[in-house]
Amino acid sequence: MNWSHVKLIFHREVRDQLRDRRTMFTICILPLLLYPLMGMVMLQVAQFHREQHVSIGIFGYENWPSDSPLILDSSDPSQIRWETLTVDDSIGATLEQFQSVQAQTNSEVKNKSTESYIVNGKAAEKLLRQVHCDAVIWVPPGYHNSISINPLVILSNQRWERSQLAIRLLAEKLEGWHLSWIRTQLAWTELGTALVDPLAIRQLDVSPPEVKRALVWTKILPFVMLIWALTGAFYPAIDLCAGEKERGTLETLLCSPARRKEIVWGKLLTIMCFSMGTALLNLASMHTTTSIVMTQFSQLGATDMVASLGPLPLHSMGWLILLVIPISAMFSALALAVASLARSTKEGQYYLMPLLLVGMPLVMLPMIPGVTLSHGTSVVPVTGAVLMSRALIDGEYGLALLHLPTVIAVTLYCCFLSKRWAIRQFESESVMFRDSERSSVAQWIRNVWRQREDTPTSNESILCGLLIIVGLFFGRLSLSGMPLSWTSVVQSTLVIQVGIILAPALIMATMLTRCVRKALRLHRPRPLEMMAAASLAVCLHPTFMAFAAEVGKEYKLGEQTNSMLMQFDSIISSTTIWQVLLMLALIPAICEELVFRGFLFAGLQRNGGQLRAILVTAAFFGLSHGVLQQTITASVMGLMIGWIAYRSGGVACTIAFHATHNSISMLLAWYSNRGLNSPHYLSWAIEHSDGHLAYTSTWCALSVGIAITLIAWFATRGSVLSNPRSSIGMNDLHQQRVTFTA
Amino acid sequence: MDFVQVQNLCKNYPDAALGEFKALDNISFVARAGEVFGLLGPNGAGKTTALRILATILQPSSGSVRIYNFDVTEQADFVRHSIGFVSNNTAIYDRMSAWEFVEYFGRLYALPADRLYPRMEKIFRTLQMEEFRDCPGVKMSTGMKQKVSIARALIHDPPVLIFDEASLGLDVMVARALQSIVMDLRDQGKCIIYSTHIMREVERLCDHVAIIYKGKLLDTGTLEELADRHEQNDFEELFFQLLTKGDKGHFDAKPPVDLGMRIRTASTASQGRAL
Ligand SMILES: Nc1ncnc2c1ncn2[C@@H]1O[C@H](COP(=O)(O)OP(=O)(O)OP(=O)(O)O)[C@@H](O)[C@H]1O
Ligand SMILES: [Mg+2]
Repeated sequence: MNWSHVKLIFHREVRDQLRDRRTMFTICILPLLLYPLMGMVMLQVAQFHREQHVSIGIFGYENWPSDSPLILDSSDPSQIRWETLTVDDSIGATLEQFQSVQAQTNSEVKNKSTESYIVNGKAAEKLLRQVHCDAVIWVPPGYHNSISINPLVILSNQRWERSQLAIRLLAEKLEGWHLSWIRTQLAWTELGTALVDPLAIRQLDVSPPEVKRALVWTKILPFVMLIWALTGAFYPAIDLCAGEKERGTLETLLCSPARRKEIVWGKLLTIMCFSMGTALLNLASMHTTTSIVMTQFSQLGATDMVASLGPLPLHSMGWLILLVIPISAMFSALALAVASLARSTKEGQYYLMPLLLVGMPLVMLPMIPGVTLSHGTSVVPVTGAVLMSRALIDGEYGLALLHLPTVIAVTLYCCFLSKRWAIRQFESESVMFRDSERSSVAQWIRNVWRQREDTPTSNESILCGLLIIVGLFFGRLSLSGMPLSWTSVVQSTLVIQVGIILAPALIMATMLTRCVRKALRLHRPRPLEMMAAASLAVCLHPTFMAFAAEVGKEYKLGEQTNSMLMQFDSIISSTTIWQVLLMLALIPAICEELVFRGFLFAGLQRNGGQLRAILVTAAFFGLSHGVLQQTITASVMGLMIGWIAYRSGGVACTIAFHATHNSISMLLAWYSNRGLNSPHYLSWAIEHSDGHLAYTSTWCALSVGIAITLIAWFATRGSVLSNPRSSIGMNDLHQQRVTFTA
Repeated sequence: MDFVQVQNLCKNYPDAALGEFKALDNISFVARAGEVFGLLGPNGAGKTTALRILATILQPSSGSVRIYNFDVTEQADFVRHSIGFVSNNTAIYDRMSAWEFVEYFGRLYALPADRLYPRMEKIFRTLQMEEFRDCPGVKMSTGMKQKVSIARALIHDPPVLIFDEASLGLDVMVARALQSIVMDLRDQGKCIIYSTHIMREVERLCDHVAIIYKGKLLDTGTLEELADRHEQNDFEELFFQLLTKGDKGHFDAKPPVDLGMRIRTASTASQGRAL
């Protein structure tokens, strides 16, 4: 790397962008104008909003009990404008009609005196228009004397927003009236008003006001900033890649002494600069504007609002600025890689959407109520960083410090990956000099067929994985209505394992490859290795159980899920053990291994992508288990199984591992649920506690040692040997999965 | 001295319909110092592909290319310092002036300031670019842009210059100016690879030519050798004949010429200099 080249390129690109009017507009002028304009509009709207009144008409107010008036006086500060109306002949006739509607439905109505009925028919709407009111109350004659027989009639048109507001305000009003009426009544009796006011509450909020003010901002600002960081990265990226390709200047640069890597760095730094610049300018502009607007608001007297949304505390800006750096770096590298795919600026614009689609969920996740920084969220890219900055703004430094290493590691790794992707794009001839697609879809398909190889390509593998995930999503939805019984468990297992997981891979292996055996990584089993794999599964089982329990603690299963699991357990125990082992241990092990460690692994490990194959198949394997807890445990197990698949070169060992693991889980569950004790000769490993079978601490400790030995054995076996390794404890996973689908 | 040695060069592009598309199929030629080597061929023959490989922008699929005795794949950095590449695709930046543009590349080639600026002054003078040295790229005409590109390619004084259809879109005046620049460079002892499909230019400039068609080398040699071999004095006619024969598959890929036996034709050379 020659950094002087990087510096030269960086300087040139920055100068070039600064000379571009369009970039300057989106990056500098727009934020400077946007927020003041938005602030102005907000002020106007707020004023307009405050003056919005609804008018409610009352017919027959003379029938209202005069000792506690509903309408106080004109100084009543509420938003309701009352209109006392007199019933003339035609209106009287209409109201009569409603009373008959009223009478019909009355029997179904619970004992509530103020029930509003939306009367279908044009008459009501006409009436409302006629009297120019948003809602109308009719106090029928005789209401005063017989409330339960002659309820109030309230007419509104919920299609109109003002009418909705009128009803809401009216309900509050009536509620207040109701309470005060009860108080008056009680005051006459000996009981006193304590009956209606049993509690005296004084609420105190101990959070410092500036932290509280920051609360709303901590949700909104990271979002706004991320959007701008992405936008600020994307447009320069398109101009710097697709634009240069389009104008032909890229070729000039490619034959200069600057290497591709240096070009990428130069451009990346430029894009980062603009991404950060845009985000920060927007932030600053927003801060200034809101401070001014909020001061205005407080002058207008809207004190509640200012209290909750006061000007942004200055120190929180500092944390946000810190957040910008890693996020901009990541988005810039992503935008650069994506933009380098495009042949022209126009094509580049099309890629913004997919990029936003990927980025948006990560940005939205922290905005979901209740999502805070934890072990789970800190490993999610972007989300972790946003939550971290929020924790810092809230002053929770301890929590932030705890998760800082994870967040930094994840963010750096993502930056590194995106940067590497961008460099690969620049080094790829087919990306840099992409010809316009000259062939039709039919030609392409013919070509895919003609060019089949022994194993699938990585794209085909990933496609297969995605198909399975989508298939499982719909499959589970459609199976979820089934009753819980052994038959339905068998059915759903077969449908999911064979129909949804195995079938796509088998079809793709037949159609897209020349050799199904190699595509599924079927090799001649080596008994010794398979036995070692099975033993490893046995030895890793206690560890896995402990891990699953930890995950279960961090991410609690819902009530419903738990009760389903219990039901599932009872179904299992009412069946013979052989059936359980066949359906829930062996079949899932075979199907899943053939697909995940077979077809998917074969495609992904091409061109030295073993690590990629292990990681991606583990992710797919995890995702194929529909519930978060299982996804996590299965992904971790997937890493282990993937490694075994890599070391052993085929699926035989992973099937042995997977099936063994499942079987042990099933056996434990089956014996536990039947209340049976484990065989006597196993008492050193399994004990009975709390009505469940559990591993003894002796075996737990011992198993770890043996497992390490076995792993070492696999690791040191020559790569010539294809040793099937362990597949990890899928048993519980299956068990749970079937439960959910059943 | 052989400044450019191309041996059995092949280049395949991935192609959705055919799987692989052979853009260059076993091309070999040699170009020496102090000569203009013409690379001729109709549209889509593979000229640009070949020259991009020479300029290290593309990687050869097989075969070897050595420039100034550096290998284009293994010693790409040295090769880049030894070539100047001008094509109708190597554009200039819109928002940079001619002076800034040439300066930028000069600094990428790591020329020290005391060498860079005098050299820039000299090149701007020779190429008569002084009146638009502060004009931004958007406002330049095609001819001006091409001159800036040439200035960019010459800034580090490379021994090998590659021109890919550099005269495309130029008017007679500028095209002639370009030709005289090329001849000056040749006289300075540089090796110039010049691709074109304008036969008049070939006759005027080139000492040696290679004719490629659909990625295959049809023939190579001096203009006289070609004329003798195909018994045709009109070069355009000769070119046309070769292509027609090539279409019928009369030619095998291997040229029947010994590259070592090269006679500089007085007529072409003197004709060129007279301009
Ligand atoms: N990036 C690419 N991907 C696929 N095919 C390409 C690519 N670039 C060029 N080709 C194909 O390779 C062949 C040779 O192209 P090339 O541009 O080298 O021809 P050329 O001799 O320069 O033609 P012209 O005189 O039109 O400039 C053409 O058929 C072209 O379609
Ligand atoms: Mg060309």
